[in-house]
Amino acid sequence: MATSPTTVVDQLLAGLHLPDGFDAVAGVIREFLDQVTNSAIWTRYGQQSLEWLIGMNPVDRLFMLSALTLLLMLLLGRLRSAGVLAVLLYGAQFAALLSTDTLFGAPLAAAVRITVADQSLHWSYDALSWFFAMITIGTGFVTAWYAAGSWMRRYREAGRSARAFHVALALNCFGMLLLVGSADLLSLFLGWELVSWASFLLMALVGGPAAQAALKYLAYAISGAMLILGAIALIYGISGSFEYDAVVAAIRSMTDAQVWTLLLLLGGGFAVKLGLLPFHLWQAAAYAEAPGAGSVFLGAISARMGLFGIIVFIVGMIGVSRLMTLEIPYTFMSSRELIAWIAALTIIVPTYTALQQHDARYLLAWHGIGQGGYMLLGLMVGDAVGSAGGLLHCFNYAITQAALLMAVFAVVHRTGTADLNQLGGLVTRMPLTFLVLLFGIISLAGLPPMAGFVSKWMVYRSLITEGMPLLFVAAVVGTLGTILSVYKLIHNIFLGQLRVEHQEVAEAPLSMLIPMLGLSALIFLAGFIPGPALSWVAQVQGQLGLPVVPWVLGGIVDPRGGLDMIWLVGILMAGFGVGALVFYGFGGRSRRVHQLDNYAGGHFLTADVHYQYSDNFYAGLMHLIGPWYRGSFRWLERSLAATLDLVSFGAEGLYRLAQPTLLMLAAAVAMLAWVL
Amino acid sequence: MTHIDQVPTPGAPRPVEIGVKPGTKRTNPFARVFDELVRFAQSRSLFMLHYCTGCGAVELPPAMTSRFDMERLGIQPMVSPRQADILLITGYVSVKTLKRVILTYEQMNSPKYVIGICSCTVNGGMYWQSYATAKKLNDYMPVDIYIAGCMPRPEAVIEGLRGLIENIRTGRADAWKDYYRRYDHYLGNQQRLFGADWQTPTDVIAEARHYDLFGPATLGAHTALLEQHQRPLEALEMRIEIPELMRRRSRSDQGGTAQ
Repeated sequence: MATSPTTVVDQLLAGLHLPDGFDAVAGVIREFLDQVTNSAIWTRYGQQSLEWLIGMNPVDRLFMLSALTLLLMLLLGRLRSAGVLAVLLYGAQFAALLSTDTLFGAPLAAAVRITVADQSLHWSYDALSWFFAMITIGTGFVTAWYAAGSWMRRYREAGRSARAFHVALALNCFGMLLLVGSADLLSLFLGWELVSWASFLLMALVGGPAAQAALKYLAYAISGAMLILGAIALIYGISGSFEYDAVVAAIRSMTDAQVWTLLLLLGGGFAVKLGLLPFHLWQAAAYAEAPGAGSVFLGAISARMGLFGIIVFIVGMIGVSRLMTLEIPYTFMSSRELIAWIAALTIIVPTYTALQQHDARYLLAWHGIGQGGYMLLGLMVGDAVGSAGGLLHCFNYAITQAALLMAVFAVVHRTGTADLNQLGGLVTRMPLTFLVLLFGIISLAGLPPMAGFVSKWMVYRSLITEGMPLLFVAAVVGTLGTILSVYKLIHNIFLGQLRVEHQEVAEAPLSMLIPMLGLSALIFLAGFIPGPALSWVAQVQGQLGLPVVPWVLGGIVDPRGGLDMIWLVGILMAGFGVGALVFYGFGGRSRRVHQLDNYAGGHFLTADVHYQYSDNFYAGLMHLIGPWYRGSFRWLERSLAATLDLVSFGAEGLYRLAQPTLLMLAAAVAMLAWVL
Repeated sequence: MTHIDQVPTPGAPRPVEIGVKPGTKRTNPFARVFDELVRFAQSRSLFMLHYCTGCGAVELPPAMTSRFDMERLGIQPMVSPRQADILLITGYVSVKTLKRVILTYEQMNSPKYVIGICSCTVNGGMYWQSYATAKKLNDYMPVDIYIAGCMPRPEAVIEGLRGLIENIRTGRADAWKDYYRRYDHYLGNQQRLFGADWQTPTDVIAEARHYDLFGPATLGAHTALLEQHQRPLEALEMRIEIPELMRRRSRSDQGGTAQ
């Protein structure tokens, strides 16, 4: 089939069914395109590139578009319109991902292969890759849109490099696409390192405390990468190959002790990125201090790459049933319960740390760590509904966290602070941002009718039906902390007294509002009709060899208790409707009063008095649970750092001894003796 | 600012007809039953904001707690005036306190009832000669029930509350309407005491219009005085000011006015 821009445009226009009046417009476009296609440059280069692009392997096309985004941002990132270009390019990447059709179709290998020292690196997309790539590119798309307008103008005015930001974002996306498409251990490690360094770039962009946090992240990430490298070496020692098929066979032949080692190495390495206890301390500061739009991207998807690794290796290759056979000596626990309890503690501890935060960015970043625990917990239950809940939570959490962080950074954009003790009453000035945050917190807390409810419900339900009541209680305790802290978030920013200095605050700029409102709509839709997202999850489960969740459009069907969100939301809305009918139908007359017409023990209020205290929120609760915060993990981290410091100090002292030559001679002799 | 001498002296209170006019007839046959039910429900669920001044407050703990237990009558303490039904004043009100009492009273939602406990609220009691106390509470706000005594025992407090409940049930406790219908009278007394520039955050006249309780004596010389210096507190309106859209709209506005 002859492909030219004219035929592509004709097909598009035919698909749109435009009214007759548009014929003239279409004619102008066609004429313009004819002139273009008849020009010498087009016949020489353009025609070929278009046909090449359309005829290319879809996975290669995806990689190429992602690399092209990176390249164009590197070249043109300084331009004012680079933001719009980036949005278009991420949109094109999304289209390219959809065209791979690896979710419902067969897995598709990329034609690109790199051979290094007789080992070939190759990439392949399947349902799991598609699922994570879809979240990644989607997040990149909304992030780029959020950053395209007013946000980037402010960022430039602060003297920061727009190009560096665009490049860092594009590099993150590119790295993640390579990682989720990796088809052997080497390409996995390559992608892993690329993702680690790319997120360091995005974190460290603005310097100051952000660079400090990014350096801390780097120390953790390098240790994690070393663990993964160790695991790869262990697998290679047994299988003699980096191919996944050989790896699966090798793991099957491993002894329990070897699997334990592998589990600790891989689990430790991926847990660092995911922020599982006790490797979670780097994450909150690194994500919160990143520049606004970068924080949105990091918070929504970056840490999930650790979960991706755990899904591929621990859930996919080792398998939950194998985990159950690995008993911990002298206890009644298996390795699966160990991981499940680590996940449960990861839900509880960071969530309650979030409760203490007085900075909205940190509060959400700590929640990001906690929500990772729900995903892992669902996957560790391993039944159809639980693992589907864990996977679905990746998607639901990404849209929720992106919307929440966008709303918080929109407030920062307008007021200049994210300090929860310095805000309040903004609902009358930024009502749409309030709405976005409201949708987001309902979803994050796992309440109907939003998306987060569906996935959390599935995790809870599987914990009950699979007989894990204590883990269920732990998950519910975590949710309690979530509800408390998101209430603090929305209250301290939007409710209460509007401060004098915020009287003239305007709504967030349109370029930021559109992705925010779009995500809010998505959060509601994914809660109202969870079927489409569940169908993706079901494909992923099928590919991983997990039991497949019995999904329908409104939720799941199961003899032991299903979920139909369409009914649930309908009944909920009907309840509100009846309430509204009673209130308005029976002559309910409400009257808005000024915020200073308020009761403070009979005191006459003036604008300069803060009668609505948002300082030290939950002081009463902290009086009760405060002694539980002992900072044990911080203590552990500090003592580890101090030990390392001491060892390196001793080593340094050893080198500076009076007779270093003698020492080196002794070392050389000892080495020789060992070698010989 | 108006000087205190310019505040007109309030005249004798004029009688104002209250409630349904005798000539009108309720057409709905169930209205009577329904009114009865609503009044019964209202009388049995009262939230009380106690503005404890003076010594009468010590009689409230026994009245509230297990010995006399006013909750068996459906009466509970409430922390904010927006949810409260009863305002309980338990002793002498100094001029300074009275300002706060009036502020609190105006913030309560209708229907609302005021109870004055102790002789001091009735006639100033032992503070009759004090320059700093208000003598009769019902000069400044309509009072539903006085419970006299120095101090009244809890039995008397309970007795008074039962009287209020009975009045609510039979539809006689509608003194709160009087505040809207004769606002000028009460405001005049308040202005005599506090000065001509006296103002509370609540716009009582607008509320009287809003709740259809505008009477012939709502406005008068004193409300005219109030309006001279009143700075109304407008409620914060929801503003959606998206800068990009605002600019576009203002441009089109200009285009509209040019023709």
